[in-house]
Amino acid sequence: MDKIPKMKTSIGICGVFLVCLLSAAAGVPPGWAQDTDVEIESVYNPPVLVQAEMCESIERFQPVNPAVVFSISLGRVYCFTSFDPVFEETVMFHRWFRKDLLISNARLVLNPPKWASFSSMQLRPVDKGPWRVEIVDSRDNLIKTLRFSISD
Amino acid sequence: MMAQFFGIGWQNVLDIALNTYILFRLYVLFRGTNVLRVLLAMGALLVFRQVAFAMGLIITSWVMQGVIAVAALVIIVVFRNEISLVLKTRDLKSFFWGIPRQQLKTPVGIIVESVYELARKKIGALIVLPLSKGMESVVQEGIPWHGKLSKEMLISIFWPDNPVHDGAVVIQGNQITDVGVILPLSKRTDLPSRFGTRHRAAVGLAEQTDALIIVVSEERGTITLVRNRQIYDINDSRVLEKLLIQHAGGDTSTGDIKKRTRDLAIAATVCLVCVTGLWISFSRGVETLATQDVPIEFVKSDQNMEVFSSSASSVRLLVSGSRPLIRALGPERINVKLNLANTTAGETSLSVGRNAVSLPPGISVKSIEPSMIHVFLDVPLKKEIPVQAFWAGRLSPDLMMTQVAITPKKIIVVGPSQVLEDINTLFTEPISLDGIAESGKITAGIAFTPPTIRPEDPKKSEVQLEYTVRKRNTTDS
Repeated sequence: MDKIPKMKTSIGICGVFLVCLLSAAAGVPPGWAQDTDVEIESVYNPPVLVQAEMCESIERFQPVNPAVVFSISLGRVYCFTSFDPVFEETVMFHRWFRKDLLISNARLVLNPPKWASFSSMQLRPVDKGPWRVEIVDSRDNLIKTLRFSISD
Repeated sequence: MMAQFFGIGWQNVLDIALNTYILFRLYVLFRGTNVLRVLLAMGALLVFRQVAFAMGLIITSWVMQGVIAVAALVIIVVFRNEISLVLKTRDLKSFFWGIPRQQLKTPVGIIVESVYELARKKIGALIVLPLSKGMESVVQEGIPWHGKLSKEMLISIFWPDNPVHDGAVVIQGNQITDVGVILPLSKRTDLPSRFGTRHRAAVGLAEQTDALIIVVSEERGTITLVRNRQIYDINDSRVLEKLLIQHAGGDTSTGDIKKRTRDLAIAATVCLVCVTGLWISFSRGVETLATQDVPIEFVKSDQNMEVFSSSASSVRLLVSGSRPLIRALGPERINVKLNLANTTAGETSLSVGRNAVSLPPGISVKSIEPSMIHVFLDVPLKKEIPVQAFWAGRLSPDLMMTQVAITPKKIIVVGPSQVLEDINTLFTEPISLDGIAESGKITAGIAFTPPTIRPEDPKKSEVQLEYTVRKRNTTDS
């Protein structure tokens, strides 16, 4: 099983995108784009979160071993999120908290029509304890909170 | 009420009152006797001993203590007659309550007549009328007589050919109790030269007792009356009669009653002052130290504000005062109040000064520990906060915990607004992963940190966790 190589920085941010060109090209009627443009100016259509997991790694654009407790010996832990649909290019944030202290705020770019992305955290011995990742949209709306613990 | 006001217990008031009365009764029963003088001397010794003790003169105070103990024994031995007289001759009522008046039944007229008759005939005479003080220790006992007093009897006793005519006659009430009594001679040098042995004996007895002595001069036929240290030359029978009536306690004139009442009131006051002084010297002289843990009371000016935390909930006071006051000092009589009038929300340091401590009178603060209190003040708020499990330890490497459901998911907590702003998650106490082999349930307490926050419902300080574990696939890494 191949793993995504570990990043050198403490915060590794990767964008993994799955673009379904067929559905995008065929599914959108000619007039839709114009209507959407009008609505974009007045209505915010947030991307829809369909999957959010804390996991040990990412393989083939899927989370591996999603869990709520991770051993510090793993060295890195991942937060995987998948959105469908994504109506427009937007950003999403993964805010990592150790206990109640903000450790990292990862900015992820989402592209239509659907998108999956993840962020990760390099673990140090002092990082043992309860963690949470808040998934927040570009308008600072909290979409989901993932809670987990780093154990021995 | 008054006792409470002055900070002394009712026991102390009763103590003082009882001993004042005992001292007053001793005065009443023994006034005019040598016993009272010796008792006063003992009192002076006691004061001297206290002063010596206070000054740190250990040996002096020790010697004084011994002297007082010996003196007490000496008093009982030497003045046994006076003491027995007091104890025997009075009934219980007069012993505990009455004001003794002696010689009321003395037939004054007979004495006056007899004395003038003796004077007219120039028959020397020495007549003693004792009052309250026993004379046994100062006179040489004469011959018991116990005859009813009459003019003829008196004249016959002092008749020159009578074997006992040289001694003194003792008259008690209407009885001649003793004859031929030898009195102690005075050593005064300022007595008139005309005074012979009889006069000198009369003065000598008057110096040591409260008796009244009548002297009839054999040479000149003059009458002299001696009482206390005063010598009266009697030229008028009415004067003699008046002095005898006064001595017998029969003068019931308004002025005399007032004077007697005033004397007794003064004596009672002196007794009260002495006993109170003694009580104070005992109670205040022996300074006692005690420590008291007193809870701190915060006085708020802003009722919305609340003290969420304090570095100490009570202070330890080292107080000093007299032993009775310290013993009577209950926690309810000590207050430590810290004023929060000039404080604002947040952490504040307050000094616990002596002005913050209120104590009953007579008790002082030696030290306060701690002298500084750190308090956290804020307006209380409620906030619903989610609870998260805090897993600790080591989960078996072949297991994975995939899910945890917490019930309840959120808890309403109350705490200072500033603190609650920064709290977004409540964590359980660390839950050990060691030993978990399969899915299950567990109850865990919530760690309410900082301690300034608390659950709105104190019963909701625990959560139940339902966890799911699964075997790690062999293909999982």
